[in-house]
Amino acid sequence: MTPKPNMSVPSRMALIVHSDMGALSGLQTALSAKGFTAIVARDLPTALLAITHHYFEVAIVSSQLAEGGDGWPLAGVLHLVFPKAFVCVVSPVEPDVLTLQAAINYGVREVYRQSTPAPQVVDSIVKQLGSGARSSSRTRVQ
Amino acid sequence: MPQKRSVLLVDDETSILQTLRLVFEHEGYDVATAQSSSEALGLLGRNGNFDAVITDLNMEEEDIGLEVARAALKAKPKPAVVICTGFASMSNSRTALDLGVDYMAHKPVELNDLISALNRLIARHRDTEGRK
Repeated sequence: MTPKPNMSVPSRMALIVHSDMGALSGLQTALSAKGFTAIVARDLPTALLAITHHYFEVAIVSSQLAEGGDGWPLAGVLHLVFPKAFVCVVSPVEPDVLTLQAAINYGVREVYRQSTPAPQVVDSIVKQLGSGARSSSRTRVQ
Repeated sequence: MPQKRSVLLVDDETSILQTLRLVFEHEGYDVATAQSSSEALGLLGRNGNFDAVITDLNMEEEDIGLEVARAALKAKPKPAVVICTGFASMSNSRTALDLGVDYMAHKPVELNDLISALNRLIARHRDTEGRK
């Protein structure tokens, strides 16, 4: 059976959870440039809503949403719900031993400094995913 | 009836091995032990069919437990891999993260946390394998 010529290819979904609008915007732009549909959430309820609505291949979560460290359990939930997803955390401080321990125990694949430029973060994610994202892109704000 | 869970414990300190053996047998696990990384690698190579592997890091050599973790993570089906260490550093923690170790506990280990994590990881691994 040959595929229909005009059948659209679904783009890869990424979730960004960050309380800072500038960080959200930068990561969303960088992900879109790599062909991801980026869903953004500024708080936990919005992130949970997004989890129930989409299947994510990538999730970028700030370690600090409403208060310091509350992004980690959300990252853990994302790992449980989407076991094959690349879940990473953005931290405002230089990762130390306890940060790396948290990353391991919550199933997080990578920890990035918040000061790392968004395109650099996304390049690293795409590289670790093993293959480049498809070229079609859509962006949506949730 | 659910299959009994199995765990390989790796530590060069006999007292720790005996304590963990008692704890996990009490939890209903089949327990195998190894007192060195080479013994553990032998067990993984010969049989390797464990639901979980819990390894110390510093045994014959510093951070040699990472080799146990590396070998365990290559086993099929992949066991849950846990590192218990009193000597966590940026270097060995970063390697553990890059390897894909499932859980890292710092000594002194909170046993309830370790048991809870292991039960969760094994249930998840079995669920994942069952869906394949």
